[in-house]
Amino acid sequence: MSSPERSPFSLQGKTILVTGASSGLGRQAAITCAQRGARLVITGRDTARLQETYRQLPGDGHAQIKADLTQATDRDRLALAAGRIDGLLHCAGKQKLCPIRQLSEQIMTEVYAINFLAPVMLTQRLLQASAIAPGGSIVFLLSTAAHTGTAGVGPYSAMKAGLIGIIKCLALEVAKRKVRVNGISPSAVVTPIWDAGHLEDQKARHPLGLGMPEDVANAAVYFLSDASRWVTGTSLVMDGGAV
Amino acid sequence: MSTTAQDPFSLEGKRVLVTGASSGIGRQIAISCAQAGAQLAITGRSRERLEATAAELPGQGHTQIVADLTQSADMERVVAEAGVLNGVAHAAGISRLVPFRMLNQTHLDDIFASNTYAPMLLTKGLLAKKRIAPSGSVLWIASIASHVGPVASATYAASKAALLGAMRSLGREISKQGIRVNCIAPGYVRTPLLDGLQGSGGNMGDLLELAPLGLGEPEDVANATVFYLSDASRWITRTYFVLDGGLTIPMDIYA
Repeated sequence: MSSPERSPFSLQGKTILVTGASSGLGRQAAITCAQRGARLVITGRDTARLQETYRQLPGDGHAQIKADLTQATDRDRLALAAGRIDGLLHCAGKQKLCPIRQLSEQIMTEVYAINFLAPVMLTQRLLQASAIAPGGSIVFLLSTAAHTGTAGVGPYSAMKAGLIGIIKCLALEVAKRKVRVNGISPSAVVTPIWDAGHLEDQKARHPLGLGMPEDVANAAVYFLSDASRWVTGTSLVMDGGAV
Repeated sequence: MSTTAQDPFSLEGKRVLVTGASSGIGRQIAISCAQAGAQLAITGRSRERLEATAAELPGQGHTQIVADLTQSADMERVVAEAGVLNGVAHAAGISRLVPFRMLNQTHLDDIFASNTYAPMLLTKGLLAKKRIAPSGSVLWIASIASHVGPVASATYAASKAALLGAMRSLGREISKQGIRVNCIAPGYVRTPLLDGLQGSGGNMGDLLELAPLGLGEPEDVANATVFYLSDASRWITRTYFVLDGGLTIPMDIYA
């Protein structure tokens, strides 16, 4: 009755492409999706760490494709190699602290290439290749930084906020094929991108404590499963009640 | 494959109170929660329709409480009989199309009593009697009407918007016990309430066609509710979540 395979939150029979799967949120999301029955196509830049994620995936038939998504040739190769997918989860990203007065064109371009250009243009290639099945789900990992202001986070914040614009417009463009597009906006989650001191500071403003990668992975399951088939153009804030 | 006990989306072992369970969204929430393994306490005003919902619940140990939550004696009875809860889904609500120039105190009182005061007072009653277990999850069903602002819906939109502010404050007060509170704001869903608005001369046809994914089904709201009541959302509190088939994407609603 409540077996995961038959629940609306099952991913049985679905193929999910996860970027940034070599560590942190992407790795956990890939593992959680595989636990719920999905076939995974995982991508990341680091061969050894991608292989480690691949090794941890339960089930059969998964694929790993090494790619640097800031490179057009790698995106093309991934879009062709991925095959038909039902879900696309953009986890690849990189936080960068930099006050605006210290910003350089090089830093801004780097933050843009990883956090904005790569997910948007990979999506473009997959759509052009008709790789996303009708009824499919596209999910962008955002951040509460997409919605809130924090000193020093301007470039990253802007790219995540920029993705909200993509989410809303793309949602309208693909709705006729029942494809939906949404974002997940977590605040401080315990992952390797944060140092211990930063996480300790963050604890104080999170009434329910810091998030775990599993929390974000479970939200991704909701968006990638048929349970959310009527949800599009929105973003789910998850922040432990941050004040 | 993980076992049911480890499934974060399961409601196995949880007791859930659903208001407005005699029809529409509340009825489907009750059914979907029971399918996810929860033991239900359901409440609604009509004994006959509440029993019809109860008959559709899989599993055992469910209870039903006939009550009008705008009456304090009924409210107290629900608090007394609901048991210790791990989840509360407040779906009871009413709507009436009234042009602003026809507003009066009675209309405001009626709508706010059902849509705003009832969820706030019921939640207060349950908390005061320690009927919500630590790590419990409270979900109030709001409405995208608060953002869309349909004509002749000022009172309804205001009554649902009020829940968003109340939820933000309540969430801070109960986080110490690990209890979460959130709102979800559905768009137009195929329910008797919507049928009633259509029948009373509401011209909603345009709005329905605007939603890129069409009209929602009660199951869509129920599935979101299961997510919010399950441990899968254990880090989510003080938020509201829009599910509307994309209706509000072209509107300036900041969500």
